[in-house]
Amino acid sequence: MAPDEGAGGFDRRAFLKVAGAATGAAIVGGIPGIVAAQKPPSFPKGTKLNILEWVSFVPASDVEFKRLTAEFGKLAGVDVTVDLINMNDLNPRIASAIETKSGPDIIMMINNWPHLYADGLADVDDIVEEIGKRDGAFYDISRKINVVDSRWKAVPFTMGAGVWNYREDWFKEVGANKFPDTWDELRKVGTALKKKNLPIGQAFGHSLGDPNSWAYAVTWCFGAAEIDDKGKVVINSKETLEAIKFTVAFWKDCLDEGGLAWDDSSNNRAFLAGTISATINGASIYFVAKRQFPEIAKAMNHAHMPRGSAGRFYYMGGQEHAVMKYSKNQQVAKEFLRWVMDRPQYDKYIAANEGYVGGPTSYWEKHPLWEKDPKLVTFKEATKYGRWTGYPGPPSRKASEALVKYILVDMYAQAIKGMKPEDAAKWAEGELKKAYA
Amino acid sequence: MAVRYGGPLKRAVTFQIPLGLMVGVTLFPFYWMVITSIRPDPELYNVRANPFFTLHPTLAHFRYLFDLTMFPRWAWNTLFIATVSTGISLFCGLLGGYALARLQFRWASPLGTLIFITYLVPPTLLFIPLGDVVKTFGLGDTPWAVILTYPTFLIPFCTWLLMGYFKTIPKEIEECARIDGASRIRAMVSISFPLAVPGILSAGIFAFTLSWNEFLYALVFLSSPQQKTIPIGVFTELVRGDVFYWGPLMAGALLGSIPVALVYSLFVEHYVTALTGAVKG
Amino acid sequence: MADQRIEPVLAESASRGASAIPAAATTPIPARGRAIRIGQLLEREHVLAGVLLAPTLLILTLFIAYPFLLGIWLAVSDKVVGRPGHFIGLENFRVNLHDTIFLRAFQNTFVYTFIATILKVTLGMLAALLLNHHFRFKRIVRASMLLPWIVPTVLSTLAWQWMFDATFSVFNWVLMNVGLISKRILWLGDGTLAMGCLIAVNVWRGMPFFAITLLAGLQTVNPDLHEAAEIDGANAWQRFWRVTLPLIKPIMLVVVLFSMIATFADFQLIYVLTRGGPYSSTHVFGTYAYELAMRAAKLGQGASISLFLFPFLLVVIVLQLWYIRRSD
Repeated sequence: MAPDEGAGGFDRRAFLKVAGAATGAAIVGGIPGIVAAQKPPSFPKGTKLNILEWVSFVPASDVEFKRLTAEFGKLAGVDVTVDLINMNDLNPRIASAIETKSGPDIIMMINNWPHLYADGLADVDDIVEEIGKRDGAFYDISRKINVVDSRWKAVPFTMGAGVWNYREDWFKEVGANKFPDTWDELRKVGTALKKKNLPIGQAFGHSLGDPNSWAYAVTWCFGAAEIDDKGKVVINSKETLEAIKFTVAFWKDCLDEGGLAWDDSSNNRAFLAGTISATINGASIYFVAKRQFPEIAKAMNHAHMPRGSAGRFYYMGGQEHAVMKYSKNQQVAKEFLRWVMDRPQYDKYIAANEGYVGGPTSYWEKHPLWEKDPKLVTFKEATKYGRWTGYPGPPSRKASEALVKYILVDMYAQAIKGMKPEDAAKWAEGELKKAYA
Repeated sequence: MAVRYGGPLKRAVTFQIPLGLMVGVTLFPFYWMVITSIRPDPELYNVRANPFFTLHPTLAHFRYLFDLTMFPRWAWNTLFIATVSTGISLFCGLLGGYALARLQFRWASPLGTLIFITYLVPPTLLFIPLGDVVKTFGLGDTPWAVILTYPTFLIPFCTWLLMGYFKTIPKEIEECARIDGASRIRAMVSISFPLAVPGILSAGIFAFTLSWNEFLYALVFLSSPQQKTIPIGVFTELVRGDVFYWGPLMAGALLGSIPVALVYSLFVEHYVTALTGAVKG
Repeated sequence: MADQRIEPVLAESASRGASAIPAAATTPIPARGRAIRIGQLLEREHVLAGVLLAPTLLILTLFIAYPFLLGIWLAVSDKVVGRPGHFIGLENFRVNLHDTIFLRAFQNTFVYTFIATILKVTLGMLAALLLNHHFRFKRIVRASMLLPWIVPTVLSTLAWQWMFDATFSVFNWVLMNVGLISKRILWLGDGTLAMGCLIAVNVWRGMPFFAITLLAGLQTVNPDLHEAAEIDGANAWQRFWRVTLPLIKPIMLVVVLFSMIATFADFQLIYVLTRGGPYSSTHVFGTYAYELAMRAAKLGQGASISLFLFPFLLVVIVLQLWYIRRSD
């Protein structure tokens, strides 16, 4: 395991020792190699590196990332700058960067964006292979979202899951000593809770996170899908109708009816205000609760998505770093990614995230942070059930279009609003056919 | 001018109550902003708490705004950008308005039309190709990217306003000056421009407001936190992922509105007068 | 002075229709002479006009005309981010007309614009009439009435979002505590209701602009006209309709047309409040184009949606110009 290094101030020799130990005998060059050879960094003076990331709701992880980049800057003699913007505002920035062929050297990609922007991204197979050799195979979902035409277009960074956040105390009151394992059981518990005015909360609005956590996961759990693995639209099926009917019934019996207007943040607020008893969300609720609402933090826990007839699935998001093709500093960028994904550095980064995200390979499941707080175990385990947009088809740009048009989310929302399930499924079929045309 | 009413009851019903209602509805959201920005978090997230006042006001949100974001920097950026783009737009609008109002030349009509036609092209259509142009000139992520693009939607209105204004100034005044030997430019600068000052103020306030307010171009062309303007900064940095920091958000919204509001309150009478002048034309 | 000497020369060359600088230009002109020459040039109306309009035209050409042409090209191409686009004619437009979300956005854009504008004109007129009095806090009230329009849209819209929030809405709190409703109203959770909320916020934001501009218009109306009408026996309503309204029609028309253009192309308000939801029922052209171009990286398709604004805006602009021209 990586030894603890004091924040600020580093000792080159100590670093070298650690780096050598962590990467084993295979010194593949890069920073450790340069340091080992006691040569000055091979980048021309004045080289700049600009990184664009999303704003993490875990402020500590942003702080840690910036610290890491500054450290790299010192080591390599490079001027590193990091810009953080809101997840929703990344797309226009990326689009305009690729189109005008100038902008940040490294940009964070989310979910299947490497497919969407593949033409503007440089190949990073070399770095990825190195990491894979050292830390073990990447998760299947990581591979799927980052590999386009057999080439790795981004270096997987983190994986985030929306799991069930629930109030253990209230669930116990209605007789559920652990979180239900199947959807039907959850519905029974939810009905009892709603009767006590403590409904479950789920968003069905136009927001990229939580609404899709339900729409895609439930669809898959019931054995339905947008497309099959050959790309044919198969949404209008018996399984989909089951999923829709279940959702509508669940809405009536268990859900907070504000959900149609909810975006990604509404369920956080509602949970922390005590108006809902459970919801699908990342660790952002728990994180805020620990700091501001400790009684809620004590009373809540996390649990896995219930099983449906087809199994257990999560709609998963991943974050990855892409090196932009237009960048004049690709070498530096790759060095940075190689360095930051290396154990001493990544170790600190993932610790700073307190469990909101998991690492991209199974190696990171062994990190001690997961042992610190047992309530976070669910996040670690979720990745193996995670699937991507368009599953079982590829996470292509067409899948992105379907995502962006909120076709699945709207299908459920309209059924909730009163549209017949058959009509909703048919509508979704029509829209998906256009997107996949 | 003002009109008088008879009877206090009639006055209440036809004047005071409607006016009161209007002012109330207009200002309520601002009251809301103020209250939210000074309420402590536990109260903010309490569904049962009375949302209209708080017994434990706190400055924590403002402190957060100043300590953990670059709010003062954004305020400076916004001020700088708004002032310079207004300056440029007024310059162009003044010259252009004068030309279209006073001078006879063959292209007057089509050019006038052309300038207004630009309103047909909304920013949502333009911002990607515009990004291309901005990068070509090496202006990306500098205030100049927006300072030079804001006039695209400011100049037409300024031109219209000042054009109308110039039309109200009798030609004879200038003619007199020219007969006395002044050149056209001299007459323009020394005579017509000073008379148009109310119009200039009015157009200037309008331009300043729109620049201060702008969102899309600033979002796309300005990336580093140091370069952001208040609207962008507050919106992007106080909404982290799925956590909205409502307290600091409202604090930022409040502080982001005060400078412009001040400018307006000082000049609102001028603005009205100036519009009156332009309207007559 | 210098005028009298050179004027005839210039006039002569002008009548010749040839280049403005006659033979005298071939002989070297002393600096002061050159300055005078330029000065003389600028005496000519169309030269001066050209010079005065040059900065405007430069900025508008660089930053609107050129990108606009690029935008048209995008709309007739299949461009996606990162790949070169190919000409596909009107294919994007054909796809749009079969897209249910697009058709909904089409309807929404018109409904949003028309209803909001009618409300803004009416309420703005009302406000202008009220503000056209002398009363003690006139200045403060007038200044404060402008606030919604002054404050950055993004920020005030966020405040409204909080006010409409499904769980924390202050309106719900009031209505429930007063006993008027027993269940929460889901302001942004129902398609029609959400549309109503959007229109309400747009009216709230835009009405001050109408109010102040119409107020300016009212102040140009000569009070003698009102007195004359009153003497003739007209009541307040008739006075308004027959005397006031016709006189402020010009300014009203201009402000209505400006506002309609802005509302038709609105983006920020809807984007912040609903992002086009729930279930795509509040999308307008601007937001839908943005979503497609930015999140699905389909620049060509997005541009084609934006271009649907064009015909309507063209009609509006033409009307406006025709009216301005007519009143000259």
